[in-house]
Amino acid sequence: MRKHKRSLTGYWFILPAAVLVVLYFFIPVILTLGISLTNMSSVTGFSNWSWTGLANYIKILKHPDSGSNFATTLIYVACTLSFFNVGMGLLVAILAHHMPKRLGEIFRSLWLLPRITPPVVYVLMWTMLAADAPYGVINQLFRIPFGLSTSNWLPEYAMLFAVLVNGYIGASFGMILFSSAIEAIPNDIMVSSLVDGASFFNRARYIILPQLKWPLLFVTTYQTLSLLTSFESILILTDGNFGTEVWALWSYHKALNNYYGNFQYGFGAALSAVLVFVGVIFAIIYLKYFKFNDLVKEPLIDEL
Amino acid sequence: MKKNCFAVMLILCLAATTLYANGGQEASSGPRTVSIEVWTREGGINHWRADLAVEAAKELNAQLKAEGSQITVEAVPVLDEGDWGGYKKKYSLAADSGEAPLIVVSGHEDIATWGQAGYIVPLASSVEEIQGETEQFADVIPSLWNCASWHGNIWGVPQDTEARPMYFNKTLLKKVGFTDAQIAQLPKDIEEGKFTLQDLVSTAQKAVEMGGVEPGYGYWHRPKKGGDFVQFYRAFGGEIYDAQEDKLVVTRDALVRFYAFQRSCVETGITPATYIGTEWNIWHDVVSNNKALFFNGGTWMWADWAKNYAEGGEDALFANIGYAYEPSGIRGRKGSTLSHPLVYLISSERASGSTDQELAKRLIALMTTTERNTRHAVESGHLGILQSQARYDAYTSNKFLADVTYLLDNNFYQPNHVLYGTWFDSLWDNMVAAEQGEKSPEEAAEDAVKIMKLELDDQLIVK
Repeated sequence: MRKHKRSLTGYWFILPAAVLVVLYFFIPVILTLGISLTNMSSVTGFSNWSWTGLANYIKILKHPDSGSNFATTLIYVACTLSFFNVGMGLLVAILAHHMPKRLGEIFRSLWLLPRITPPVVYVLMWTMLAADAPYGVINQLFRIPFGLSTSNWLPEYAMLFAVLVNGYIGASFGMILFSSAIEAIPNDIMVSSLVDGASFFNRARYIILPQLKWPLLFVTTYQTLSLLTSFESILILTDGNFGTEVWALWSYHKALNNYYGNFQYGFGAALSAVLVFVGVIFAIIYLKYFKFNDLVKEPLIDEL
Repeated sequence: MKKNCFAVMLILCLAATTLYANGGQEASSGPRTVSIEVWTREGGINHWRADLAVEAAKELNAQLKAEGSQITVEAVPVLDEGDWGGYKKKYSLAADSGEAPLIVVSGHEDIATWGQAGYIVPLASSVEEIQGETEQFADVIPSLWNCASWHGNIWGVPQDTEARPMYFNKTLLKKVGFTDAQIAQLPKDIEEGKFTLQDLVSTAQKAVEMGGVEPGYGYWHRPKKGGDFVQFYRAFGGEIYDAQEDKLVVTRDALVRFYAFQRSCVETGITPATYIGTEWNIWHDVVSNNKALFFNGGTWMWADWAKNYAEGGEDALFANIGYAYEPSGIRGRKGSTLSHPLVYLISSERASGSTDQELAKRLIALMTTTERNTRHAVESGHLGILQSQARYDAYTSNKFLADVTYLLDNNFYQPNHVLYGTWFDSLWDNMVAAEQGEKSPEEAAEDAVKIMKLELDDQLIVK
């Protein structure tokens, strides 16, 4: 009887989250899937469309840009995720933890600046950094004084800039979660490792990292899904030129933003649906790899 | 009992309906203020596109009063500073939710898409019909009505037009050995097809090699997406539209030649290898201050340079910069230019929730007077749309506009076809890939055709 009451209480707790997931995930996904099976576009408006079955998906399979845009997306997600969202986030969290408290706080705060700067301003700063001589800061400060060749760096290293711009924003997310997780590690374990003569690297490798498995899973999964669907900064940075047309931006261009305003809602929705499918596949892989079931297993000591 | 209740409710409902209907009649026959929003992209030097409506509304109100009408029109200009894509999206979504402005200024190529979607209404069923409606519409340059036509109807009133010249820097040309006579002859040679795009490349390349122009500054085309590039595709013999079939056309060979030209600009060092995407403010600063030898852009840019970029203002521009048709890519074939008239369009009742389309049309007519349109043309560097402007002092005394108006003698328009935007996207995306060297010109052309076939299906003719 008591157990039954407990499980009901659990459902009440999960209800707000469940409502949000249904409202903001399941319903949009169903709508997207529905629209992807139509020819809805600027030409048909929202009222004169008709069902076209899998025509949009067949178009994606035959499209010459599908392969390159998918590869671009994978490169962008993999690089941003590994070097910044997880890698840099983790590094900054561990370094800041080992700094004097005040200095650590300042160090962490600096990484939050890109996140709180309005995206348009932030990306334009990068654009002006990379601009051709004599305008760009890179050329002005680091190339011209040393007699080195100048360039318009953004188109030359467009993917690198796309990763850097997003990475500096994304790193702060992981940093905050990892920092709080590190702070939550019992102090006696941390101190005893020092007493036992563990180096900084040993402590990071054998004490801190194993304790961060859960936040690592969360950050990796969440950020993979975010990166798969994020395109705003690339839109402002290159508008998809120079090999930076990631899948989400392609979908946006087709469905909602192109120069002559011919929006293909149906085709764009099909492109988005592909992203949903890819996202779910990634999520399943992560959950398997990180042994999610073990992480959420009931503790062996059930009741004290 | 139940029957009685039902009867009472029925009577109450009928009474309420009658009262409501009477109220409605009173409201429609009494004094009424009609608010007409006029949407346009861009404020700055183009603000008159919408701001003229305020003054025109005053005149319209005076007319309405004289006619004994109790209607007062209030014009609300809305200047959108976003890009074209965002602006068109905003209008499309507003129209689909019944909240579109009554008047929207946009490119004529939107007529097909928005007309098909039911967002806008046709204004007349023939050129003659619209010309007969007001003296202003009768005054519009007749050929401009063509680009406001679709499927036999007239859907928009031309607002402004322009040419897209090939500009050249006279000072830099002199520096690399051109005489005054040769410079003066250049526009004529381009017009007659004696100076082609290949000549432009070789001249700019020579100028760079001689040291008269810095590497990468021999030729600066438009740095971002825009209709300008259709000129070069067409200059190499490309066809866009088959009016008989009402289908879009792609000419594979012309596409290869066009892409090869763009690539050659980079390979010869006259255009930077990492050029596309250059910020507009950098671009304007470079071309208006004697750094680039050849550059192509719109006539409206001249006004912007004079006001915001060129050191020395318009006098410096006249001293240093010349203008001509876009050269042909085929020797002996005349240079030409793309005109892209913006048009006033009127939203349908379903798109705007308003039934005042006739009032909107009257307002547009009053915005289209010689004096008012000239005010916009002179300030923004756009060409006039009325025949009377050719005799109007304020227009003819503007040296630049007077100089470039002849470009309209050999111009062309983009087609009004529902899938033109999709066609253009393929042309542009693959041009970028070709210019950047990501694909060879042949590969880029092949991909462009493949995508067009896939996305346009039976609406495309491949030649």
